[in-house]
Amino acid sequence: MPEWENWFEIAKQCKYLPENDLKKLCQIVCDLLIEEANIQPVSTPVTVCGDIHGQFYDLEELFRNGGQVPDTNYVFMGDFVDRGYYSLESLTRLLTLKAKWPHRITLLRGNHESRQITQVYGFYDECMNKYGNANVWKECCKVFDLLSIAALIDEEVFCVHGGLSPDISTLDQIRIIERNQEIPYKGAFCDLVWSDPEDIEKWTVSPRGAGWLFGPEVTEEFMEKNQLELICRAHQLVNEGYKYMFNDKLVTIWSAPNYCYRCGNIASIMEFSTVHDRKPILFNAVPDDQRVIPDKAATPYFL
Amino acid sequence: MSTRSMRLSCSSSMHSIRSKANNMEFKTRVKNQSDMEVWEMSEAYNDYIGFISAMNKSVCAIPLNKPLSLSNESKLILNILNSIDNWITEVEPLKESCRFGNKAFSTFYNLLKTRLPDILSKELSLVDQQNVIELTTYIIDSFGNPTRIDYGTGHELSFCMFLCGLFKVNMLKQSDSKATVNILFSRYLEIVRKLQLRYQMEPAGSHGAWSLDDYQFVPFIWGSAQLIENPDLNPNLFVDEKCVQLFKSKYMFLGCIDFIMQVKKGLFHEHSNQLWNISGVPSWNKINEGLIKMYKKEVLGKFPIIQHVPFGNLFQFKQCAKKIMVPTPSTIITPTSTLLDKLKKTELSESNIVNK
Repeated sequence: MPEWENWFEIAKQCKYLPENDLKKLCQIVCDLLIEEANIQPVSTPVTVCGDIHGQFYDLEELFRNGGQVPDTNYVFMGDFVDRGYYSLESLTRLLTLKAKWPHRITLLRGNHESRQITQVYGFYDECMNKYGNANVWKECCKVFDLLSIAALIDEEVFCVHGGLSPDISTLDQIRIIERNQEIPYKGAFCDLVWSDPEDIEKWTVSPRGAGWLFGPEVTEEFMEKNQLELICRAHQLVNEGYKYMFNDKLVTIWSAPNYCYRCGNIASIMEFSTVHDRKPILFNAVPDDQRVIPDKAATPYFL
Repeated sequence: MSTRSMRLSCSSSMHSIRSKANNMEFKTRVKNQSDMEVWEMSEAYNDYIGFISAMNKSVCAIPLNKPLSLSNESKLILNILNSIDNWITEVEPLKESCRFGNKAFSTFYNLLKTRLPDILSKELSLVDQQNVIELTTYIIDSFGNPTRIDYGTGHELSFCMFLCGLFKVNMLKQSDSKATVNILFSRYLEIVRKLQLRYQMEPAGSHGAWSLDDYQFVPFIWGSAQLIENPDLNPNLFVDEKCVQLFKSKYMFLGCIDFIMQVKKGLFHEHSNQLWNISGVPSWNKINEGLIKMYKKEVLGKFPIIQHVPFGNLFQFKQCAKKIMVPTPSTIITPTSTLLDKLKKTELSESNIVNK
């Protein structure tokens, strides 16, 4: 029995692995990811998911609603970590799934799968807190560098974390990006994980400070040129769980219910039987009484 | 989801004004990580941390409901805050759902930008005009960012620099210390909470569940000082809802917990894990010391926050000449300016209060 069988069981229980085991797991996943394409081809039936943000219990709720791996084939469109309390456990869970069934789960890169962003939004602090050093965080960042940028379902549905880039007009241009690196602060790669759709004419500077706002016209153009039916993306909270825009050419999928323990929103995943036959599955945050309360930990500042 | 900009620069338009008086250009100085060391050795840093510590001492064991007399100058600042509060009611949130917070906040921010300069230059007519300009910038930047519609500890820092600046220009005096925390800062908190709720402001640069709080830090420091030597309220009680309801108006710290409990859904240990851990610390004294250590590292030590802070005449970026030691948590740093020397004297004269 490969060692990850045991890790798989641990990860299911909202637990994290010993440092050395997690490092080994990261290495196993890196070896798998390096073989994947910038735009990873995927076939229906498949279920597409949006941001997770360290909400472990809600990730399990997602699997209860969408089906367990390997029964269901999944595409996760990034932002597994940051903000929530269980980023490490959530990422470990996804990595063990990837190790066990590499062809039944596709993990894409979100703007939070980055060294710079995780140092600001919680994942780095979490690793420091849970391991007492930054080694695991560093290993996880190596995994992040190798995540695919996009997925293409049946050649017709383009899945990406953020959206489009003014520097990208064909899918082939994405295929030649050197993805094995920290997400740059500008340019095509950055835009793909940072941009947002908006009802504007073409392109506008994004208030996020990275990526662009892109309108229906440039979306239409991109889709026609690349013969796409639909763009699936995540990156923005949608209170209703999902939202179609631009004449149903683009859909935002949001999979973190009660985002930031504050928003009270419902979450969704999108189940594709075929490109045209798809249905959203909605789910709520797991109630308080089904979550475990950890012990109070001594924080170094207060010793 | 909306994430604080890495490259948007500071919002205020007045950051690059040259002071005629002493040629201190008023602008942001921290451009990269290596500038952070210069900041931590600067007079500005020393003065600021001295102010935080002096205010901290002044409210040791002084709850919010203890009657305080207000100087005319404090009243004047309070009136300005009251006006700002009234302006909020002038700007209705937009009905459409907005992704990055409610865009009506930028309308409110424009009111601050157009009205505050005149009010401050009128009310602070005796103060050097360059200093008034700097104070105005700090107070305008205290309420959030109009582009991203977010609010965080950087904006809170800006307000504390405004308050500290008022001491520096001798508008507020040592005798105003308690009121500065318990009345002025407390009023500010009411306003920013109102803004956060009304315009659904995003937490700026929050470390999520690993932050002390989505929006604030300083009220936890000063609030914990209020509870030092308090025999009735053990730290492990502050996560108890009943206890919070009972004491939220009396102690700033409990007021903060109450606000978290209002806006957060889910289990406390999960959404506010740092505070959950802090509730296990045995004494308020330890909490207070720990929070100051944490503030230095997690707020004042963070490039993404300090890169937005303008420095000039009031807060000078030059190296602190008198600084002889690395700041340690239990030490009140000797401030360089005369103001802070004065404040220090207050601390000494009031130290007996702590022991009561």
